Amino acid sequence: MKVKGQYSVDVPQQQVYEALLDPEILARTLPGCESLEPIADNQYRMKMKLAVAGVQGLFEGKVSLEDQRPPESYRLRVGGQGKIGFIKGNGRLTLRPSDPSTTVIEYEGEVKIGGIIAGVGQRLMDMTAKMMIKRFFTSLSRVLAENSEN
Amino acid sequence: MATTTTKPQAKTYVGQRIRRQEDPRLITGTATYVDDIQRPGMLYAAVLRSPYAAANIKSISTAGAMEMPGVKAVYTGKDVSSVGPVPCAGSMPTLRVPHHTILATDRVYYVGHPVVAVVASDRYVAQDALESIEVDYDPLDDVVADPEKALEKDSRKVHPEYDDNVAFTFHLDGGDVEKAFAEADTVVKLRVAAPRLAPSPIETRGVVAEYDEGAKELTIYSSTQIPHLLRTQLALQLNLPEHHLRVIAPEVGGGFGSKCNVWAEEALAGYIAIQLKQPIKWIENRRESILVVAHGRGHLDDVELAAKKDGTLTGLKLRILQDIGGHHQLLTPIIPTLSVLMLPGLYKFKSFTADLIGVFTNLAPTDLYRGAGRPEATYVIERIVDRMADELGMDPAEIRLKNFPGPDEFPFETATGLSYDSGDYAKAFNIALEKVGYQDFLKKQQEARKQGRLLGIGFCTYGELCAFGPSPALPAGGWESATVTVEATGKVAVMTGTSPHGQGAETTFSQIAADALGIPMDDIVVVHGDTAKVQHGIGTFGSRNTAIGGTAVHLALQEVVGKAKTYAGHMMEVDAADVAFEGGVFSSAKTDKTVSFQDVALEAHLCKNLPPDTEPGLSATRFFEPANFAFPFGAHIAVVEVDRETGEIQILRYLAVDDCGKVINPLMVDGQIHGGVAQGLGPALMEGVIYDEDGQLLNGTFMDYPIPKAQHMPWIESERTETPAPGNPLGVKGVGEAGTIGSLPAFVNGVVDALSPLGVQHIDIPMTPQKVWNLIQERSQS
Amino acid sequence: MIPASFDYSAPETLSEALKLLSENPDSKVLAGGQSLIPLLKFRLAAPAHLVDLGGVPDLHFIAESDGMIRIGAMTTHHQIEESDLLAEKCPLLAQTAASIGDVQVRNCGTIGGSVAHADPAADYPAALQALEAKVKIAGPGGERELGIDEFIVDALTTALEASEVVTEIQVPVEADGVGVSYRTIIQPASGFPIVGAAARIGVSDGKISFARVGMTGVAAKSYRATAVEAALEGKAADAETLAVASRLAAEGVEALSDLNASSEYRSHLASVQLRRALEEAAERAR
Repeated sequence: MKVKGQYSVDVPQQQVYEALLDPEILARTLPGCESLEPIADNQYRMKMKLAVAGVQGLFEGKVSLEDQRPPESYRLRVGGQGKIGFIKGNGRLTLRPSDPSTTVIEYEGEVKIGGIIAGVGQRLMDMTAKMMIKRFFTSLSRVLAENSEN
Repeated sequence: MATTTTKPQAKTYVGQRIRRQEDPRLITGTATYVDDIQRPGMLYAAVLRSPYAAANIKSISTAGAMEMPGVKAVYTGKDVSSVGPVPCAGSMPTLRVPHHTILATDRVYYVGHPVVAVVASDRYVAQDALESIEVDYDPLDDVVADPEKALEKDSRKVHPEYDDNVAFTFHLDGGDVEKAFAEADTVVKLRVAAPRLAPSPIETRGVVAEYDEGAKELTIYSSTQIPHLLRTQLALQLNLPEHHLRVIAPEVGGGFGSKCNVWAEEALAGYIAIQLKQPIKWIENRRESILVVAHGRGHLDDVELAAKKDGTLTGLKLRILQDIGGHHQLLTPIIPTLSVLMLPGLYKFKSFTADLIGVFTNLAPTDLYRGAGRPEATYVIERIVDRMADELGMDPAEIRLKNFPGPDEFPFETATGLSYDSGDYAKAFNIALEKVGYQDFLKKQQEARKQGRLLGIGFCTYGELCAFGPSPALPAGGWESATVTVEATGKVAVMTGTSPHGQGAETTFSQIAADALGIPMDDIVVVHGDTAKVQHGIGTFGSRNTAIGGTAVHLALQEVVGKAKTYAGHMMEVDAADVAFEGGVFSSAKTDKTVSFQDVALEAHLCKNLPPDTEPGLSATRFFEPANFAFPFGAHIAVVEVDRETGEIQILRYLAVDDCGKVINPLMVDGQIHGGVAQGLGPALMEGVIYDEDGQLLNGTFMDYPIPKAQHMPWIESERTETPAPGNPLGVKGVGEAGTIGSLPAFVNGVVDALSPLGVQHIDIPMTPQKVWNLIQERSQS
Repeated sequence: MIPASFDYSAPETLSEALKLLSENPDSKVLAGGQSLIPLLKFRLAAPAHLVDLGGVPDLHFIAESDGMIRIGAMTTHHQIEESDLLAEKCPLLAQTAASIGDVQVRNCGTIGGSVAHADPAADYPAALQALEAKVKIAGPGGERELGIDEFIVDALTTALEASEVVTEIQVPVEADGVGVSYRTIIQPASGFPIVGAAARIGVSDGKISFARVGMTGVAAKSYRATAVEAALEGKAADAETLAVASRLAAEGVEALSDLNASSEYRSHLASVQLRRALEEAAERAR
């Protein structure tokens, strides 16, 4: 499934770019992320618990930050496997300033799911992916706001 | 006592609308299915399946599961390596049959591929334990999920031991197809796809296996259509002497071909039962059923048809891509060859060429499903004949009538070398046209089109190849067996080698026997589906039950009657040749004495007054080997209207005129047509397994995968013509698959006709509202 | 298709149920089970504790008071479909209930369960949005009431806290001269609408005096199509007005895309089904 969209945060571009590479911030913003441990440069082992209403799934996998072109773009790759199936997502995040203090984050990528969740959750896939992306950006702008206050 | 008279049975049963004797137990929950079977000390198995379409298995850790209370054993592919491979009965010279182990060893080939089996004290523990097994997969990125792309040079090889993804090729031609095309006035082309379908029987697969260590005998209860063939195959897979194996098909809740197979889980359960010396039950869940029970169809056909401008069809070229899946099942490569054989449909042209390519993909195996190869063929020919009529500006009814063989041309040799046994194709079609009021409809359609309404009519004149079949044409014998045993009290047991699983053969065979013996149907029991009770047989599939199995019953009955006449003659002191038998009473012009069937039955067991050298009892076993298939036919018509705004299809009328030869029970023939039409309506309008490009099945539940429900069905206006089959004494042909074969093209042709004012020439199935709407949008813009 | 193990309680009173929910943090309310049970069987949900409200008699009722009809959360779709009171005084809800799933679903499923699950394609929310229904909630801190629009937050997400229970749905008694209609196009497997449009229209002197429109299935959550309402009210109740207004059915929402319908087709269907619902409602209002 293809995903595409944009989100705007009231923080300058450089700051947003750094935040998006910061494992501590990613750990707080990636939906359901329970732990993020480095295993190599720009690669982390992740545990996540995805919950949408009654549906819950534990996934273990990897996050990698690839093809970095500071402060403009990089590719975020997330993959996890759990009892209810697997999730793979990869997307390019592209940043551009809309004014000196505001940054537009454009995202374009693909989400793939497999196993039970692929076969039984199709009807809710699109909205779930959208909800997850919304959660990510909402937490990101909250964290960025907190950081700039501090 | 030889003088007792019984009131003659005036009633005849064959040809009557008699309710099925099976139904009371089926609808009151008193029937015994596999899951109803309980054995002392029985354990439960569950199977862990691959979430990936293509992956190498790096390691499997079963320790977590083994530690769980209640878990008795865990088996991986390595643990069961002594079990023989899942069989494939194909035998074409080019066929590649990859080693198909009952559990994956180092690689998985499709989502749902069985990897580990857990055995536990109950099914809940077994299911929980599956979650404790850790399989370390190395998923392969370039999943082969598209049969057409699979043939491209740079496609990954599903089975790395072969240099491409071709599972087999098959070629057939006849006449002079190049000449036919060179001399044609018109040639039309189409690409016709028949997507994969999930067979979806109400009862999923299930096995109970029990091993008697003392007797060294393994009993397998399986929801199968072929108990005897399964026994032979299991004997080979498990390396057990066949006479120490007993297979029982208890009540089977629908098969539609999906249980005419030999499944990995059957051998697996047998193996585990022997290993653990405890009975094992495995019941498939619905998700597994949709995921892995061999899908039907999976065709991509490119077809060209040549014709003269008067509508005479002259030649056909066909290329079939058959999506095999990751492995063959029992009949996988054989099924699409039936599509090749049936490519001429009911038409007289003699020149053709056909190439069939089986393609391995990282998807679940395909295999037979109601119609098995013939719906695909009928869809192709009936679609392209309509396309040709459209191209020639001819009426689609007229082009059909012009190309049928006449009733005096039978047996009719087809382009592909089949011998159509009997029929009057124009008669059935004309009845349907008459009944639908075709000429009036065309006027109405003109009016509707002026108002912008999209009204259409679709024809399908189908022929069907069934009553499988002569032994040389089948991998494991095409004959069938029957034993008729008369008990001392005159009650009768009919043992059939077929394995009916919803066809109602207990009723039809009782009708045949009751008429032959002049006794009430209640005095007859039909026994089937147990290799220890029934002589060897073949099974129920390919609309063969009545034509082949019923004929064997008929032959055994004739022999019993013959013996009984001899005994009755002796009892009445006349020559057997002078004995008449009618209504259950033996009589003779040579004497006033009569004896009843029951009298003879008793005497045959008491043996006080039998001819010299007569063996006790009254019984006969007979086999029937057909010389040819049987060829039912018919005409289905769908009248549809398309909602221009939403793309929804409404079926306004549905007519079916079918000819399945002589009819034993019209009520059950109606039922077969109704069910068959439903299974053609499904793929026409809504059904179809959907995979993504990673080989993940996306509509794997009944919340997502639509099978037609009562509310989706049109009223079926059903009629019949009756052309007896010349190939068997009952004159029956077969009707189990006719509705499925005849209905789908009628729906599609109807919708294409409805959309034709927009310039639409074809639409892919399933014709979902979205797809119809897309077409309308495209056409309205262009 | 076997759920993970869970504890099960069947309280007989609401306060007992609330206590159980508070005491067991990983618990889930079981109403009619039509959505939850499949999730459990696929192990997509694995709560430690189920609190079954089936045995709480206080949650089964349909009653009228103060111009409102109050419906207990455990009232089944079938009971709503068959209610004489609703047929007479809130026909939109009865009609909507009649189009849910199939007979078995309607016999088991409950309005409270449906609302609390907030499936984006559920039938009820279209009607409840058009009816400006209120959802009554009980929790450890007492009772509260939310408009359906505030209650449904997102796909499968509501304002309900884990320790709270939906106890009642309130809909207005339909005024004289108001016509209603609910139109859907259905996914044949699940019976869920791909798009559902609920309309209430009041007509006086040939003009639309009142319009309320609720949409379901179109987007991640059901919504009131206020742009459509604005385009209707005060205008002549003619075909042109209804057609023009219905084009705004998916205005400002992001239409979903799935195997059954692309977002473009869904938006289009929303307009078509809404126009048909408006036409029917206007006809009935006359």
